[in-house]
Amino acid sequence: MFLSFFTDLFQQDFMLRALTAGILLGILAPLIGSIVVIRRLSFIADTLGHFSLVGIAVSLYLSTFGISIFFEKPIYLGLLFSVIGGLLIELFRRSYKNYKEISMVIVISLGAALSAIFFSLSKKTGSLYNYLFGSILTVTDYYVVLILVTAIVVGILFALFGKQIIAVSFEETNAKFLGVNVNIFQIIFMIMLSIVVSVLLESAGVLLISSMMIIPVAAGMKVGWSYKSTLISSVIFSELSVFFGLWMAYSLTIPSGAAIVSVNVIILLIVAIIKRISVKRQTAKQNK
Amino acid sequence: MIQYSKRHGDGMQIDIHNLSFAYGHKSVINGLSLTLNSGDYLIVKGKNGSGKSTFIKCLLGINPVKNGMIFFDHQDINNFKDWTNFGYVSQKFEDFNYEFPITVNELLSVSSLKKTKQSDRLKLLDQMGILDLINQNINNLSGGQLQRVFIVKAMINSPKLLILDEPTASIDRLNTEFFYRAINLLNQQGITIILITHTDAFEELLYSHVLTMKSDTTFTFLTKEKCDLSEVNL
Repeated sequence: MFLSFFTDLFQQDFMLRALTAGILLGILAPLIGSIVVIRRLSFIADTLGHFSLVGIAVSLYLSTFGISIFFEKPIYLGLLFSVIGGLLIELFRRSYKNYKEISMVIVISLGAALSAIFFSLSKKTGSLYNYLFGSILTVTDYYVVLILVTAIVVGILFALFGKQIIAVSFEETNAKFLGVNVNIFQIIFMIMLSIVVSVLLESAGVLLISSMMIIPVAAGMKVGWSYKSTLISSVIFSELSVFFGLWMAYSLTIPSGAAIVSVNVIILLIVAIIKRISVKRQTAKQNK
Repeated sequence: MIQYSKRHGDGMQIDIHNLSFAYGHKSVINGLSLTLNSGDYLIVKGKNGSGKSTFIKCLLGINPVKNGMIFFDHQDINNFKDWTNFGYVSQKFEDFNYEFPITVNELLSVSSLKKTKQSDRLKLLDQMGILDLINQNINNLSGGQLQRVFIVKAMINSPKLLILDEPTASIDRLNTEFFYRAINLLNQQGITIILITHTDAFEELLYSHVLTMKSDTTFTFLTKEKCDLSEVNL
């Protein structure tokens, strides 16, 4: 079974596309995810995903009138709405400074409601399943290029401003003393996150986006002793999930996003158990 | 007590004129005026609720200054741009997001400006007695060790003003004494220092001024020579 998976992986175009997309997302998701975790915003990817879905629903609704915007690619309107959702969260966050999670509940609810309305109006509720759970096995060449461009842009931003992004994420009051305008930083980060979420939406689906971003980081935190080692472990766990998830999806004909996330959770559980056993052993050794 | 010869000229000058601040109708600071010259060392003392933290938030630009004026090196706080000249250690590091692994070296590296060299970081770590912790995950450090790391973090970009908000609140007596000596040493290098504390045990400190704040918005600002500690003890 494993052998036929390997053969198909390199012989079937759709498999190769899925693998390429998966490898890129496997790096991109935990890279952004680590910052999201440090800033205690783990819920945000779900929120942006729901708002991105509004854009896709609106795009499908408009297409019923023969109106096509952004080259008939719903992902771009999704991206625009994701950015709007991100800015709305920032707006509400400032009104409820000590209860920041309220802002996400408002935006996620509005996103879910509007998506349902526009999907229903567009009479294309059939496609909803794909957007909710994603399908990396059906991605197009166009999509792979889009992920590649996103990965390059995020990579450049991290290469240029990675230090400031990490420092300000750990301690927002630090920003001013590092010469960083915190408002601009938050807006740029939110836009970057919105773009990654919209790109992830097609392959991971709205309901599984945050899992791809957060769970590998959660596992990485169990084994990492530094920021670098945590990030590297997260990327390794993420890539393992993509690879074995694809294999499961292919072999058992189950949704790919769901398979990847399931492997993610299994890895997290294994890492957590190993960590617990090693800590217990160390404590026992010290007590001897 | 060791006497140091003080070096002036590298610190920030602070002029505060008639500063008032209120939360809604509750006045917290009323008509506060003081001047600190480069290299001065101010202790701000007072009980909880006397307005110490509000005062610091005004200095850091977190509380907008609408009544009264604050000048840093003759620049109005409302147009002030040189915030990179500030070093700030917050109370119990409450604003820091813990648990995510990061080493002391990584934290200091991301908190450094371009001009800051690795050798400067090593020198400061050595000065604070924590050079051996450089590759440790900060989540494994004790309160006292963490406190020193945060002081180094506030110092790495060679600030002209160092503000410390109750920095010894969560550390033991031994670490407190070490910490006070380290602050004295930094002050000798010419940096202006503002240290907020609610304790009276600052005989180890080589301060130059004391600001005593009270909950009824009254205050006293005295130079060390004029300050009879028994009189201002709360």
